[in-house]
Amino acid sequence: MTNKAKTDFQNYFSEFKEFDEVLRPDMSINPKWKTLLNNFSKIGYKNLKEKQEELNWLMEENGVTYNVYNDPNGLHRAWDLNIVPFIIHESEWELTVEKGLKQRAELLNLVLKDIYGERELFKNGIIPQEVVFAHRGFLRQCDQIQYKTSKNLQIYSADLARGSDGRIWLVNDRTQAPSGMGYALENRHALNRVLPNISEGINIKQPLDFFNHLKQMLFDAAPQNKSNPNIVILTPGPHNETYFEHAYLASFLGYPLVTGSDLVVRNGKLWLKTLKKLKQIDVVLRRIDDVYMDPLELKEDSYLGVAGLLEVVREQQVAIVNPIGSGILENGGLIPFMNAICQHFFKEDLILPQIASWWCGQKKEMDFVFKNLKNLVVKRIDRSSRENIFFCEFLDDNTLTQLKTEIALAPYLFVAQEKISFSTAPNFVNDNLEPRKVLCRTFAIANKNSYSVMPGGLVRVAAERENLFISNQRGGISKDFWIVSNQNQKPLRNYAWDSTSNNQISDINDLSSNVAENLFWSGRYLGRALVTARYLRVVLNRMSEEQFNTRQSEFDSLTILYQSITNITSTFPGFVGEGSKERLKNPLKEILSLILDDNRSGSLAQTMNSFNNAYYSLRSLWSKDMWRVFDSIKKQWVKLKASDDLSAGELTKFLDRFITRLIAFMALIEESILVNQGLLLYFIGLQTEKAMMHVEKCRATLVFNYEEQVQYEILESLLNSNESLNIYRYSYRSFLSVENVIKLIILDTEYTKSLAYQIKRIEKDVNRMPYSEGINTIAACKEKILKAHTKMNTLNVDSLLKLNDNALVRQNLDDALAEISDLLHQTIMEISNTYFNHSYTQNQLTNQNFPLL
Amino acid sequence: MLYQISHTTSYKYEVGVTFCHNIATIKPKNMLGQTVVDYKLKIKPPPSEFSEKIDFFGNTVTRFSIQKEHKKLKVTASSKILRNHELLPDIYQSQKGKNINLIDSLVTLNSERLKIIDVKQFILESILIANISPEIRAYAEISFKPNRSIFEACYELMERIFNDFEFNPNVTNVATPIHDVILNKKGVCQDFAQIAIACARSVGLPARYVSGYIETLPPPGKEKLIGTDASHAWFSLYIPTFGWVDFDPTNNQIPKNQHIVVAYGRDYYDVPPLKGVIYSSGRNKMNVEVDIRPAV
Repeated sequence: MTNKAKTDFQNYFSEFKEFDEVLRPDMSINPKWKTLLNNFSKIGYKNLKEKQEELNWLMEENGVTYNVYNDPNGLHRAWDLNIVPFIIHESEWELTVEKGLKQRAELLNLVLKDIYGERELFKNGIIPQEVVFAHRGFLRQCDQIQYKTSKNLQIYSADLARGSDGRIWLVNDRTQAPSGMGYALENRHALNRVLPNISEGINIKQPLDFFNHLKQMLFDAAPQNKSNPNIVILTPGPHNETYFEHAYLASFLGYPLVTGSDLVVRNGKLWLKTLKKLKQIDVVLRRIDDVYMDPLELKEDSYLGVAGLLEVVREQQVAIVNPIGSGILENGGLIPFMNAICQHFFKEDLILPQIASWWCGQKKEMDFVFKNLKNLVVKRIDRSSRENIFFCEFLDDNTLTQLKTEIALAPYLFVAQEKISFSTAPNFVNDNLEPRKVLCRTFAIANKNSYSVMPGGLVRVAAERENLFISNQRGGISKDFWIVSNQNQKPLRNYAWDSTSNNQISDINDLSSNVAENLFWSGRYLGRALVTARYLRVVLNRMSEEQFNTRQSEFDSLTILYQSITNITSTFPGFVGEGSKERLKNPLKEILSLILDDNRSGSLAQTMNSFNNAYYSLRSLWSKDMWRVFDSIKKQWVKLKASDDLSAGELTKFLDRFITRLIAFMALIEESILVNQGLLLYFIGLQTEKAMMHVEKCRATLVFNYEEQVQYEILESLLNSNESLNIYRYSYRSFLSVENVIKLIILDTEYTKSLAYQIKRIEKDVNRMPYSEGINTIAACKEKILKAHTKMNTLNVDSLLKLNDNALVRQNLDDALAEISDLLHQTIMEISNTYFNHSYTQNQLTNQNFPLL
Repeated sequence: MLYQISHTTSYKYEVGVTFCHNIATIKPKNMLGQTVVDYKLKIKPPPSEFSEKIDFFGNTVTRFSIQKEHKKLKVTASSKILRNHELLPDIYQSQKGKNINLIDSLVTLNSERLKIIDVKQFILESILIANISPEIRAYAEISFKPNRSIFEACYELMERIFNDFEFNPNVTNVATPIHDVILNKKGVCQDFAQIAIACARSVGLPARYVSGYIETLPPPGKEKLIGTDASHAWFSLYIPTFGWVDFDPTNNQIPKNQHIVVAYGRDYYDVPPLKGVIYSSGRNKMNVEVDIRPAV
């Protein structure tokens, strides 16, 4: 280590208290870290700050998020990756950690088989039955289920930490739906991209083989030996804390990301609802906990799972990874017996040491726990949340007595553990390296007759210096986790998959109804946002131009434009209904509300929020460029909300920028998603929304007959809001007339912004939708849009221009537009009915909800 | 005694149900002292899938699904049951069983724990009988004393529940917590059974929930009306050195031939007669009819 690095490292020395990964008790540097520290010196600690910021920016740009429940700012919180990786040398990793993880995975697999099978472990007195029977994760509904896979436990995950004796200890087992491998992979890529030279001279093992094994394992799990099984990833949805990872893995592995409502059990099989028909699913990689998986047999009020699923599993028509019921292994009560279990099955000791634990279901152990309570950490055997972990050293006497009473009532539900101090590792905080406690999440995948362990994993860091408990649920910092080798390693490659096992759904017929619906609504929201923004911009421009014009009459063009806003956006009463006189006196206030008010239906803010939700549900489809542009739109909104200058001029500037980005974003959608992936649905939603708003605009501005000057101003605004003024001038080279405007923006069949063109386009797209099986007649939506098209063909400009008797209103125009508007609405209704499966609303036969958790 | 039992559950749905998945635990047990002579399950509309399997507790669980749209569901289980409780061991004939006290019971339960694994799980908390409150514990300890026969104590517990609790079908439902029941002292057979189970477990004894039927007799001189019976529930206590003994706190008696056993569980949660998931947006109306009479 150079002298320079030492000065930069000085603060770290002063912070050093306990066992550290880098600093040894004699203050020498662990040689395994030397190259990395030298690289930091070369990069320069000052530059590290910049690089850390770049890393933060990249994570945000890439939309790497972690949702935090019950936190107003917690949804889509950016993932926090520290620039300093965590290192373990290959020699230690392979000899103890990897071997230990494999041993433990094999062992837990046998325990799982036994618990739901013969229960020899009870009969031989190796595990007391209470440890299993009293644990809420033991699902009697899963008893005696047979699986075709060679392992029952397909994915095993363990949290590890280094104890003060220098050994790596096992802290927790994770066996239901372990999270983190996607984040681990993204961490690796992000750090590599921002700081490629950080690993100069260091050979890092890459996880590509591991992910290939994951894919192979899912493939092999298909119970019916199909040559091309259908595999899906089941997520609870966009509000789950690790939803980013679900979407990330779905696009990385190439499997559809689905929610429970996308799936259905019929004829003893599991099906994915697609636009065309039901498609049989063979393997489900689930990210939902056990009891939520089947509302028929498990948690009655769960909407995350699929009713009847467990019976399909029993009949070996689908494989769930990990199998339902594997939560029983997340069991603090098993810890004290693990070594005996290991002896029983393998005639050997555990390789990874565990924290000394006492299960209170035995008298001797409980007495010991009561005597030494102050020095112990007490947990319920079937709860891992922070609320159920008692760090007794911090509890007052009252609370301790209470805890004792609680334990005495059902002692078998509690386990006490030695409090243990884990090693710290350097973390880059406030421009300095500080020691922080770390916890390493590691992963093993069933691979033929053994397990394959990910080299590295996800390292999580305590947020505060003295923190004992690490959980992402409360937000946290993560690290890239390097296994370093003396040998050269393959470089980190971008995703390259064996195409022979690719089952990616690529046909519009196979598109899941849920994805289709979200795409359809994305199109509608974006169409609505764009038309609304453009129209408001035109009106705001006019307001700025006429600021010094004192002429105010009921029939001046500006007032008419204000009123048209209310009609087009359907935000009544607004400028037309009750209280409109007051609002017309201060129109900017109403327009501001139409832009900014999140709670107002039809406002720009609300439309964007709705889009936001659809957008996050579809996140596995979006490209990185889209994330970036979308992020800039969000930031722009935040800025506007914080701004204290909300004049018409400023709002216009905001809308200018907003519209530009929105158009960029929409162009990205069109180039990022294939029509067969569902872009067709997006187009139909977008065009239909645009057409419906276009009809409203025309009705609001063209139906009434105004005096010449007013008419001129309104027509100009209308064309401006469509970005059609230049086309008009090019086409007609004349003074603006109602006749020519109708010809251009309603009847012209070649001009993309005319109603006739839009309807032709929608019809073409709707006709490309698959015929949904089970519906015999030609889909009603096709009929409706055909009617609209036919109606368009009957229109002629002379008839539309005709004024009624008092010369005030063009009744024919209004009637025609009203009819077309109705037909467009009906088209949308029918699309929804035919393709989006609203008839499948899940309910209980008898409403009940039992406390399973 | 040979009985003819018919148990009909019907649902009327406000809006059509596109399809449904259901689970029923309604087939009476075939066991010592109770023989299923005949059993038929009629489901209308006819299900497209149907299976009968034995569950964790040894009960017969029927799963079925109906895949065509329907507005009514009718499930009728008809069985002919031969009941002869005299074939079962009689606690009154067992000096050991009748007299074993609480202390000895707990010792025996512990020393025989590897032989009675399946029994011992009935000491533990279950879904509906968890976090047993001090009120329930205190209620139990009035009867259960360290040196008193647990059979005698349990018999007294049954009598006390019968006397202290009011049978009232309008106060509780399947989800009413036992802690509310012990405070209000009102409920139905299922509540009383669960209170008794909680009491037994609170002193460390295994107790299980029994679902089934009971034959009711018409007032003297009147003819029995169809459908006046109901599904019933009681409990069973495990007496070390003897075995399981049933108690019916709703009727203050030790079940004999008038009780027909359908299923055993830790509590109601394990053995609901019929439950399901339907795909429909509307509400539904349920009706249950049970009829038990001596078979001809």
